[in-house]
Amino acid sequence: MDHNLSQDFIHGRIGTPVKRLDAVEKAGGYAKYIADMDFGTVLFSRLIRSTKSRARLVNVSIPPLPEGYYYISRKDIPEGGENRLHMITDDWRVFAEDEVRYIGETIGLLVGPDKSLLLKLESMIEIEYEESIPAFTIDESLNLKGGSIYGDDNLFADYHLQKGAGNIDSVFSGSSRIIEDEICTGFQEHVYMETQGMVGFFEDGKYVITASCQCPFYMRKAVAGVLAVDLDKIVVRQAVTGGAFGGKEHFPDVIAGPLVVALHVIKKPIQIIFDRKEDISFTAKRHPSRIRFKTALDENNKIVGMDIDIAINAGAYQSCSHIVLQRAVFSINSVYDIPNVRIRGRAVATNTFPSDAFRGFGAPQGIFACEMHMSHIARDIGIDDVAFKKYYFTVTGGLTVTNGTIHEDVKLPEMLDKILKASDYERKNLEYGKGNGRAISMSFYNHGGGFTGDGEKEIIKAKVRLKKHSNNQVSIYIANVEMGQGFQTTCSKVAAKVLGIPLADILYETPDTSISANSGPTVASRSMMIVGKLVQTAAEKLLVDWASDSEHTVEVDYVQPDGVEWDGNNFQGDAYPAYGWGICAVEVVVDPITHEVDTEGVWTVHDVGIPIDDLIVHGQVHGGVIQSLGYGSLEKLEIRNGAFYQNTLADYIIPTTMDFPSIHSDLVENPYEHGPFGAKGLGELVFDGAAAAYAAAVQKAIDKKISRIPVNPEYILSLRRK
Amino acid sequence: MQEITFTLNGKIITVTENPSSRLLDILREKLGLTAVKEGCGEGECGACSVLKDGKLVNSCIVPIGAVQGVDIVTLEGIRDTEEGKCIIDSFAESGAVQCGFCTPGMVMASAALLRTTPKPNEYQIREALSGNLCRCTGYNMLITGIQLAAKRGEGIW
Amino acid sequence: MVKSFIPKTLTEAAAIRKETGAVPIAGGTDLMVRYRNIAGTLPTFPWPVMYISNLEELKGISKEHDIVVIKAGTELSVVCESALVHPVLRDAVRQMAAPALRNLGTLAGNICNASPAGDANCVLYALGAEIELATEKSMRRMLLSDFITGPGKTELRADELMTAIRIPVHKETVSFYKKVGTRKANALSKLSCAGLLSVENGTISDMRLAVGAVAPVVVRSAELEKSIQGMNIDKFSENEESLFQAYSDLIVPIDDQRSTAEYRKTVACGLIKEFFRLIKEELS
Repeated sequence: MDHNLSQDFIHGRIGTPVKRLDAVEKAGGYAKYIADMDFGTVLFSRLIRSTKSRARLVNVSIPPLPEGYYYISRKDIPEGGENRLHMITDDWRVFAEDEVRYIGETIGLLVGPDKSLLLKLESMIEIEYEESIPAFTIDESLNLKGGSIYGDDNLFADYHLQKGAGNIDSVFSGSSRIIEDEICTGFQEHVYMETQGMVGFFEDGKYVITASCQCPFYMRKAVAGVLAVDLDKIVVRQAVTGGAFGGKEHFPDVIAGPLVVALHVIKKPIQIIFDRKEDISFTAKRHPSRIRFKTALDENNKIVGMDIDIAINAGAYQSCSHIVLQRAVFSINSVYDIPNVRIRGRAVATNTFPSDAFRGFGAPQGIFACEMHMSHIARDIGIDDVAFKKYYFTVTGGLTVTNGTIHEDVKLPEMLDKILKASDYERKNLEYGKGNGRAISMSFYNHGGGFTGDGEKEIIKAKVRLKKHSNNQVSIYIANVEMGQGFQTTCSKVAAKVLGIPLADILYETPDTSISANSGPTVASRSMMIVGKLVQTAAEKLLVDWASDSEHTVEVDYVQPDGVEWDGNNFQGDAYPAYGWGICAVEVVVDPITHEVDTEGVWTVHDVGIPIDDLIVHGQVHGGVIQSLGYGSLEKLEIRNGAFYQNTLADYIIPTTMDFPSIHSDLVENPYEHGPFGAKGLGELVFDGAAAAYAAAVQKAIDKKISRIPVNPEYILSLRRK
Repeated sequence: MQEITFTLNGKIITVTENPSSRLLDILREKLGLTAVKEGCGEGECGACSVLKDGKLVNSCIVPIGAVQGVDIVTLEGIRDTEEGKCIIDSFAESGAVQCGFCTPGMVMASAALLRTTPKPNEYQIREALSGNLCRCTGYNMLITGIQLAAKRGEGIW
Repeated sequence: MVKSFIPKTLTEAAAIRKETGAVPIAGGTDLMVRYRNIAGTLPTFPWPVMYISNLEELKGISKEHDIVVIKAGTELSVVCESALVHPVLRDAVRQMAAPALRNLGTLAGNICNASPAGDANCVLYALGAEIELATEKSMRRMLLSDFITGPGKTELRADELMTAIRIPVHKETVSFYKKVGTRKANALSKLSCAGLLSVENGTISDMRLAVGAVAPVVVRSAELEKSIQGMNIDKFSENEESLFQAYSDLIVPIDDQRSTAEYRKTVACGLIKEFFRLIKEELS
């Protein structure tokens, strides 16, 4: 690593690391995030939000506003415009109408030049509500507490699937033993280190928004209908983004909606940047889940069937909850091929802040539940959980819960060997026993790369554009953002390697809806696998007609590879074209008096196809695993009277340097023929498993069943007391 | 409003401010030094770290009134020095930078550490960074980055 | 807008305090957070304030005969590095907050904040710490345990400044300190427990036990400690159960966003039992 910008990857292994393209700029403090950028004189703003969970909005009384101060609300939406954000569904309103559905719902936007005066005016706003009874939990929602919030039954989605053609009920009635279980996960806050923020201005008839975001084109689509303007009248540019993790996938729409209405009225630059407490209190979180299993075993203690009920708490608006639910459903058997599975999945409406995308997007919930349930079965029948689980590992050709097939090589046995060795699992497991305060365990997981089924073909229809300049530099014009995951660098490496030119000659143009090709959102672990592949193809095309000193532009559209069959109406077939795979092992010691846990070691092995950059890939593993360990052990986020209770970084605690040791990260290579240089998606895979490994290890250490996260000392105490 | 005179990145300056103004806001908004970031405003995340008389502090909770006669160093003040370049390059080569928002604070915390402990072990590195939160890297590569800086920077500190 | 002052000397600070009631801010790690507003705005203090973190007269640690004197403006990071300071107190201070916050915060500020979750307080109570309060013209001292009267409540008068913390030198045979935080660093305390035991000729010559964050103020019982004096292993074992029960009755924690009453009570009692185990071990 003595090269300034190693070019070894061009002629050698693509994974040979380079110095990330944005590293010095960021480490030297030169990079300008939205709060650092100079837009000249801007107006500041305060979102005025509901303080009630469920109420009729009787009256909003605004104090007299000085010159230059505005209160923007529903009344300011122009003729023909809709009070709806066009996310995936159109239900999330820009401004509350006659009623409010959750604490934090946007009622209006106060705009003006002086922040202190804005705060003062905000405190003078008086809102009269007529409250009714809210529902906060999955049970309260299913019981229609306070009357239904959505439709007749509070269900944004209700899916029924069956794997296999067997008669599930007779499988159960013929079984020797049935094991029942309920596993729960809670809210999780992204805690991207840079809070939400954007600045908008009106110029040449266009509304231009610069935002910390993952999906500029999503934002444009979400708000164009609010002003009843054509898409090209809204321009969204990405600002350097300080972390996102799914929290800046759809949520920025919720800020952009009021912003464009304000721009429409005021026509001056306006900034909306969240304070941290505001961000924790009033942005979307990971969906809480409650997953129930009934598993039938035969007389040899082999699983012959599973009946699963998945419920996720969607909050007051649907946003993308049905898609999160789909992924929870599709991941509910993790890496196992289990026969005769019946699944019901429901996304329920409650009066809480709408939940939305967060790294893993339903898979962490499904996988956590599956992994804990499998470990509970193992415990009940007296076998070690790892020995029990590996019997059910799927293989190439294995059937998925949607009756599709696993097309790729499944490297789990090789990965298991590696991790057993690296962690010294077998010796330790034997030595530590159960319930002695020290234990080691593992979780197994996979993550389908890209959009479900034919989403890429039918919905996204990604395009990429490459332009060769006359000086032989090449610009990449795509919508996928650099948000910390290294995509700017890895995508540039793909192009540089195909073209055989230095990395410094690849210009990754900042995503901007007015100049970028719409390659789709930076989500679903699709960027490298799908868009990177398109960039590879486009670069190959560019190379064919490469002529020095001349300009040349190439555009490539997504074409779905053959062999992926999907029925989106019934959720049958191949939900994903390829999967990333992972195993995580965690060793813990539990204090007998304080019930605090010391994590002694963390080991991982992942199959991400081929790494495009070793440092970036391992860096993603480290970060995803620590974030997942936080989810599993520290990050408690409760609702009290409808609001998030732990709403500062002092109380919503994420891991520090002292909480976990360094992660051992290993990879197995397993090239995917339709991925660039064989790469598959990895951004979410690396989050999916660690929480379950941690919980399973603590479970063994205290010899009590763990059925929810975070596994904090209070929970451990309550289990030890039973 | 009071006149407050202090040394900033080696130069003596005077600002006229309400003494309760946060040092973070004076640096970013009045003096245009945006390397320092607001991550939480409550002293919990370290994204706003600067050196005050050589010690690491969170500028979001330092009132400008406490800065009278004091020596403040921000990332802008060390990034072009041998020390700063060593840390920045080591970070860049070790994969220690992902979204970059915590990184300026991490560089300051590393500088504060290496000045007192030029050859830190892993525990000392973790402890020195324990007030700086990162959500992207899992901290592994920040540690190896600092170890690399310590190795390369022998004699600088 | 409230007034703010930057006194140049301690005398000036005392005069300002008397005239305006201005609240002294040293590190600001509590007050600058509690009264903060959004970026680019001033904190909304409800009283005038004065910034005293640079007063040299309030800095330093020294020894006066058998008392270690920590001047009120001495940063926590200086306290935990000083060889004059009792090792258990250094240990407790080292676990407070995070490095950057320890470079700003002070024990005095922590004490005046009087949060029941104040980390180092149980150690200061166990050591029998005194605080020194001064006005323009006078000075008085009192036990820390008399100074803090409830959550957020102290005996500080409107014209007084805290000028020092005075800790009697103490040598014990066995020391015990445990902070249970919300995580392993940069953590608020769920509870903390400090125990100091001196044994001579197989009997207890001195015992102190203080538990923090499990009641409105730090729990320490002079009565119970006195009753233990002179006990040997047999006496102690005989009385252990009733002693434990007596301490347990003093532990009355609450539920909050960080932890539960049940956890705090159970763990506090577990730590007390552990300290008792150490006592028996030392006595045998």
